[in-house]
Amino acid sequence: MKTFLFLITITISIAANAQVSKVSLQASGLTCSMCSNSINKALKTIDFVQNVNPNIKTSTFEITFKEGSSVDFDKLKKKVEDAGFTVASFVAFVNFANTEIKANEPVKVGDKTFYILNAKEKSLNGAKQVRIVDKGFVSTKDFKKNTLAAPTSGNGVYNVTI
Amino acid sequence: MLSGKALYIFYMKTKLITAMLLISFSSMAQELYVYTEPASNMAAKSIGLRLNNFIMPESYTAKTNYHMIPEIMVGVSKTTMVHFDAFLSNRNKGLSVEGGSIYAKYRFLSNDEVQKHFRMAAFCRYSFNNSDIHQEEINLYGHNTGFETGVVATQLLHKVAISSGLSFVKALDNGNSNKFPYSNLDRQAINYTLSIGKLMLPKDYTDYKQTNLNLMLEFLNQFNLGSGKYYMDIAPSMQLIFNSVARVDIGYRQQLNSSLYRTAPNGLFVRLEYNLFNAY
Repeated sequence: MKTFLFLITITISIAANAQVSKVSLQASGLTCSMCSNSINKALKTIDFVQNVNPNIKTSTFEITFKEGSSVDFDKLKKKVEDAGFTVASFVAFVNFANTEIKANEPVKVGDKTFYILNAKEKSLNGAKQVRIVDKGFVSTKDFKKNTLAAPTSGNGVYNVTI
Repeated sequence: MLSGKALYIFYMKTKLITAMLLISFSSMAQELYVYTEPASNMAAKSIGLRLNNFIMPESYTAKTNYHMIPEIMVGVSKTTMVHFDAFLSNRNKGLSVEGGSIYAKYRFLSNDEVQKHFRMAAFCRYSFNNSDIHQEEINLYGHNTGFETGVVATQLLHKVAISSGLSFVKALDNGNSNKFPYSNLDRQAINYTLSIGKLMLPKDYTDYKQTNLNLMLEFLNQFNLGSGKYYMDIAPSMQLIFNSVARVDIGYRQQLNSSLYRTAPNGLFVRLEYNLFNAY
């Protein structure tokens, strides 16, 4: 019985922890490696960040997270801005567990609420790439392409496309 | 001192180098300029340490002026940075401290796109100096006490960056009772600059340990609002960046034209820089 409870606990915690397995963000406003390095080093100071894998050529950073930590998207964006640059694209790899999608209703995954602007499927299962389209998470040009559903964004509430 | 013929040959050589640099620049740089500041700032919470060295032969004597300027740069926030400078030179006895400077820059406009940006910033500088004033040119980087305020705009287009600055300069009396020796109206001038930079190496970025080579060409000009006199300088330079944290700049400043009395307008500039990210 103890072992059984233990296994259940493990399963639950894995499911809870791996909701956001990775974030791939692209920064804009830079070319040089010193600029890229300032973003790289700033991202690495965040407590929940496990590793940052930079691609200098494309100004893209693949970020993985420490197990059991809550991933704060706004903090990632702020670090890029503090380094003097802007986020041009922000894709989170989110694990869904048979999540039902209903029209005009947001989806809750862990501590985050997503307003999916282009939902086609009726339910989401497994790892999906979720692109945040709120202001500051996309380029100014791309921001204008979407009509947002969430009245306010940030603090765990995001407008996204899948 | 150089003879007229030698000067002419040097002038022609400079023109040729300029033409060659312009041709290579026109294809596609970077904005970590050597003689001017771009509209971009350093990252918040980072600190940069610099050792600036000017080696400038005097025009009318056999002496060579050496100015050493240690500098600390602080990224205060994403939009604001501050520089602190100390001015040392060998103009009087030995290498002695003659003054200092504080510089602040505020980025008020930023249009970023992937590998592109257009940015604007406002800046101001206050300098003090205790040495004698020995030239009409107003120079707040190791010569005059005074202040400067202006704006700078920078466009980055992939590997090329172009930047231009416009500022108002006012010279005050130097310390140690070294009064400004010219007319009161001659204390005010306009500085205007144009800088072009291009990233030459690496051709392809793969990691932060690759050494970067940037080439820069800068035009540095001053127009005195009182006397109407001016100078126009050209300053080609090269820059190496190591491990994406350390920088070596080597530049040469050459007067193209001037009606201002200047004691040592031409010469070599060498800067060593080290950056500490997330320093505090």
